[in-house]
Amino acid sequence: MLSDLMFRLRSLFRRSAVENELDEELRFHLERQVEKHVRAGLTREESMRQTRLEFGGLGRVKEDCRESRGITFLATMAQDIRYALRQLRRTPGFTITVLLTLALGIGANAAIFTLVNSVLLKSLPVTDATTLVRLGDENDCCVDDGPKGNGDYTLFSTNTYQELKKKVPEFAELAAMQAGFGYRPIIARREGGQAAARSVMGEFVSGNYFRTFGLQPQAGRLLIDADDVQGAPMTAVMSYEAWKHEFAGDAAVVGSTFWVNTKPVTVVGIAPKGFYGDRMSSTPPEFYLPIESMPVLANVPYVHDHDTSWLYIVGRVKPGVAMAPLQQKISGLVRQAFAPSKNFSSKEGKESLARTHVVLTPGGAGIEELQKEYAFHLHLLMWIASLVLLIACANIANLLLVRDMGRRAEMSMRTALGATAGRVVRQLLTESLLLAGMGGIAGLAVAYAGARMLLMLAFPGARNVTIDASPSLTIIGFACGLSLVTGVLFGVAPAWVAAQAKPADALRSGTRTAATGASLLQRGLVVLQAALSLVLLVGAGLFSQSLSKLQNTELKLDAKNRYIVHINPQAAGYTETQLEALYRTMEERFHALPGVMKVGIATYTPMEDNNWSNGVQVQGQADSSDGSSFVKGNAEYFDSVGTHVVMGRGFGPQDTSTAPAVAVVNRTFVKNLFKDGSNPVGRRIGPPGPKSSGDFEIVGVVEDTVYTAVQWKNHNMYFIPLMQRFPSDPDPIEKDTSLYAGAIVLQTERPMNDMEQLAQKTLAGINPNLTVVKFQTFDQQIADRFTEERMIARLTILFGALALLLATIGLYGVSAYSVERRTPEIGIRMALGAERGGVIAMVMRGAIVQTAVGLTIGIPVALLCVRFVKAQLYEISNVDARVMAGAIATLAAAACIAAIIPARRAASIDPVQAMRSE
Amino acid sequence: MTPQGIDLPQGTLDLLLLRTLALGPQHGWAISERVQQMSSDVLRIQQGSLYPALHRLERRGLIKARWGTSENNRRAKYYELSKNGRRQLEVEKDAWEKLTTAVAQVLGTAQEVRNA
Repeated sequence: MLSDLMFRLRSLFRRSAVENELDEELRFHLERQVEKHVRAGLTREESMRQTRLEFGGLGRVKEDCRESRGITFLATMAQDIRYALRQLRRTPGFTITVLLTLALGIGANAAIFTLVNSVLLKSLPVTDATTLVRLGDENDCCVDDGPKGNGDYTLFSTNTYQELKKKVPEFAELAAMQAGFGYRPIIARREGGQAAARSVMGEFVSGNYFRTFGLQPQAGRLLIDADDVQGAPMTAVMSYEAWKHEFAGDAAVVGSTFWVNTKPVTVVGIAPKGFYGDRMSSTPPEFYLPIESMPVLANVPYVHDHDTSWLYIVGRVKPGVAMAPLQQKISGLVRQAFAPSKNFSSKEGKESLARTHVVLTPGGAGIEELQKEYAFHLHLLMWIASLVLLIACANIANLLLVRDMGRRAEMSMRTALGATAGRVVRQLLTESLLLAGMGGIAGLAVAYAGARMLLMLAFPGARNVTIDASPSLTIIGFACGLSLVTGVLFGVAPAWVAAQAKPADALRSGTRTAATGASLLQRGLVVLQAALSLVLLVGAGLFSQSLSKLQNTELKLDAKNRYIVHINPQAAGYTETQLEALYRTMEERFHALPGVMKVGIATYTPMEDNNWSNGVQVQGQADSSDGSSFVKGNAEYFDSVGTHVVMGRGFGPQDTSTAPAVAVVNRTFVKNLFKDGSNPVGRRIGPPGPKSSGDFEIVGVVEDTVYTAVQWKNHNMYFIPLMQRFPSDPDPIEKDTSLYAGAIVLQTERPMNDMEQLAQKTLAGINPNLTVVKFQTFDQQIADRFTEERMIARLTILFGALALLLATIGLYGVSAYSVERRTPEIGIRMALGAERGGVIAMVMRGAIVQTAVGLTIGIPVALLCVRFVKAQLYEISNVDARVMAGAIATLAAAACIAAIIPARRAASIDPVQAMRSE
Repeated sequence: MTPQGIDLPQGTLDLLLLRTLALGPQHGWAISERVQQMSSDVLRIQQGSLYPALHRLERRGLIKARWGTSENNRRAKYYELSKNGRRQLEVEKDAWEKLTTAVAQVLGTAQEVRNA
C-alpha cells in the first residue's frame, strides 16, 4: 500500500524524469524492432512502417503506461481543481451566492450546535465525570425549610448530608455545596492590596469537594477535610480565572490573607484551570470556602439547623454499584434523618414523610440549573436553524441545477469529444466539493462569530461565562459533512443525468428548444423554500409579539429617574442589632445628595430575580393554606419604586422596630384572602396559627406592582416595615436574617449619570466594607428580566430574515434562469407584438404562482407549529391575524422583488438580437 | 505475411510476463521476442500493450526495474522478478493449470457425448 503510494507520488512529482525514462525505454524497443526488420531484409523505411504498425499509437501507449503507473489519477485531480477554480472565478455571482448560502446555512447551524454541545452535552471538566451522581432531580434553590408537597427532595440540611456521608459506603466520596451562592455574594479584599473591596461570588463547599471531582491544584493546595471543621483556621481556594484576571497570576496570592466579609481568610491554593465550579453559570465562584466557616463569614443561622435545607449533594459512586437499590437506601436514610423534626411530627407531617424520597440523577454535568433553563429554547433554536439549513440546501440545489442546465451543452460537447461519463461527472464533483469545502470553512467562521454573539445575547454583560464558544472537532466535522453531502447530492446527481444523455441529442436540443423553463424539481424547491420561510417568519412574528406583550405589560411602578443599588450589609460585617442605625444613616446620607428625592430601602425590589414567601392566614378566618410573598421596606420605599397606595396608608418613619407591627397588602392579596369583600384595613394577618396569624395589623392596600417576573402575575404580596420582626418568631434577633436589606432605591429629580460613583462614595463614607454589589437603573433591571425572551425574539427574527433572504435568492435564480432560457421565445413573442407589460406579467406570474403554492403549504404548517411553542409565548395561544398577514406580506414583497429584476430584463429583450443569437 | 495468431485472453499477459522473467532479467524488447518464441508464434501480443502491463506489474511490486546495458551496448531498462512476483507466478500458474484442465475436461466430455 505504502510502496504503491510512493510509486505514484514519484510518478507525479518526478514527472519529467519518469517521462524521460518512458521515452527512452520505448525508443529502445522501437529501435531494436526496426533493426530486426532490417536484418530480415526490409528497407529501413519499410521496417519503420512495419514497427509502427506492430506497436500501435505511441501516444496511446504512453498514456496507458502513465495510467498503469497511477500518474493520471492524481494529475487529473490537480487538473480538475485548477479547472474548477477557473470556472468558479468565471461565474462570480454564482460562486458568491453559493458560498454565502453555505456559510450562513452551515454557520447558523454550527453556531447553535456549538451552543447546544457546550451547554447541554458537556460534562464538568473533572476526572471521570460518568461516575458522578447527583442526589435529587428538582430545580429547587437556595434555602428551604419545612416539608415539600411532592416529597421529592433536592436540597438538604448539613445534618442530612453528614448522615448520608457516614451511612452510604457505596459512595467513594460524597460532597455538598451551597445551592444559592449566586444570590449571596461575598465581599473580598486582599490584605495590603490597593484595590477596594469587591463583591464577588463565593461558594461554600464541603472539605472533600475537590477530591470528589478528582482535581489537582493549579498552585498551592485545594481544600481538605481538616479545613471544613468548626474552629479550624479559615481557608479558601481561589478560582483560576479570578487569579489570572484579578491578580495577574501573582504567585504570592497563595498563602496570603483576604478579608472575606470583613474576616481574615487564608487563600491556600488555586483551583485548576478550566474548572468553573459544579454548575454552568454566568457568574462562577471566585472563592471556594469550607461550609464550617459559613456561620462566621456569612453570619447565617441555618448552617447547623436540622430543619433548613440549603445544600446540593453530588457523590462519586464506587464501581459496580447499582443505582436503584442505592436510591432506595438513600431515600430511607433521608426519611430517618427527617423523622425527629417537628416539621414531620404532625399528621400531615407524617404523611409527607412517607412520600419523602430522593431521585438519583447523573452528576457528570454538575448542577444542571442553566441546562434546564435553556434546554427548550436551545432545542427550538436547533429546529429553526435546521429549517434554515434546509432552505439553504434547497437554494444550493437550485443554483447548481441552474448552472448544470446552462452547462449541458458544454458537457455534451466534452462527451462528444471523447470524455467518458465518469470523467465529466468527476469534473463536476470536484467543482461541487471545492465549493462545499470553501463554504464549510466560511461557515465555520460564521459559526465561531455566531456562537459568540449568541452567548452575548444570552448573558449580556457577563464577564467570564463558563461556556466555551469555540467550535469543537465534532462541530467542524458536522459542518463539513453537511456541506459535502449537499454538494455531492445536488452537484453530481444532475451531472450524472446530463452525462448519460446522448451527446448528439443534447447538442441538438441545447440551443434550439423553445421554452423549457425551470424544471418541476426547481420549482418544487422554490415552493419548499417559500413554505419554510413563511413558517419561520410567523415564528419570528409570534416571538416578537410575545416579547412586546411582556415588555408592555403595565408593571404598576415608575422606573423614571430611579436607580437600584444592591447592597449586602451582612457581608459588610453588620449585626442585626446595628441595622436600624445603619439604615437611618443611609437615608440621611443619600438624602443629603443634591437631586435625590426619595431613598427606599428594602429586602428586594420589583422585577428582580428574588422572592421571599411564606404561608399566611387572616386572623379569625380558617387557614386557607394560602401563601404570599413578602417584602420589607422603609418609609419611602413605596414612593421610591412608584407603587401607589390605594387604601389606608403606606409606611412612615413612625413604623420603627419598637412600634406596633403593621403590614400593607396588595390588591390581589385582598381579593384572595378577603373574598367576602370586607375592609382589610384594621384586620390582622400572619403565618398560619391561632396566635401567629395576629402578627401584623393591616394599615393599607397598594396596587399590584409586578415582582419577580411578569409571567407570575397578580400573586399575593404583603409588605412589612424594614426593621419590624414577626412578633411570633421565637428566635432571638441575632438569627433574623430578614432584617438585612438587599437594595437601596433612589429616585432623583433628573437623570444622573454619576449616580453609581455617588452611591459608591456615599456607602464607602459610611463604611469601607459597604460595597455596591450591583448597580443598575430601574429600567436596566427591568430589561434584564426579558433577556432570554429578547434573545429568542431576536434570533427568530434573524433566522426568519435569513430564510427570507435565501428564499428570495432561490426565487430570483429560478426566474432569471427561465428568462435566460426563454430569451429566443420571448424575442419571437415580442416580434409578434407582445407588449412589454405582458412579458413582465408572464415572468412575474411564474414567481407569484410558486410563492402562492408555498404559502398554501406554509400557512397550515405554521398554524400547526404554534402548538409546540405555545408554552413559550406570553399570552398568545394562536397565530394572530396581524402576524400572519405580516409574514405573508413580507414574503410576497420579497417574491416580487426577486421576480421583477428578471422580468424587466425579459421585457428589455431586443427581438432582433434575441432571434439572431440562435 | 505471418499467419494470424490468437488474441490473448484477459489477464494472461501478466502470467506470461512473469513466466518469461522467471528465466532471468530482461528488457522490454527481449521479453516480447521471448514470449513470441515460447508460444511458437501462435500468441499475438500487440507490442504496445506490453509496456503498460510491465509498468503495472512494477507498481504492484511483482517485478523490479533497473537500468542496465544491453547486449549491443545500449542503455536499456531491465525488469526482473521480485520475491512477491515469484510467489505470484506460482499462484497464477496453479490457477491457470486448474482452469485449463477443467475447461479441457468439459470440452473432452462434450466431444464424447457428441460421438456417442
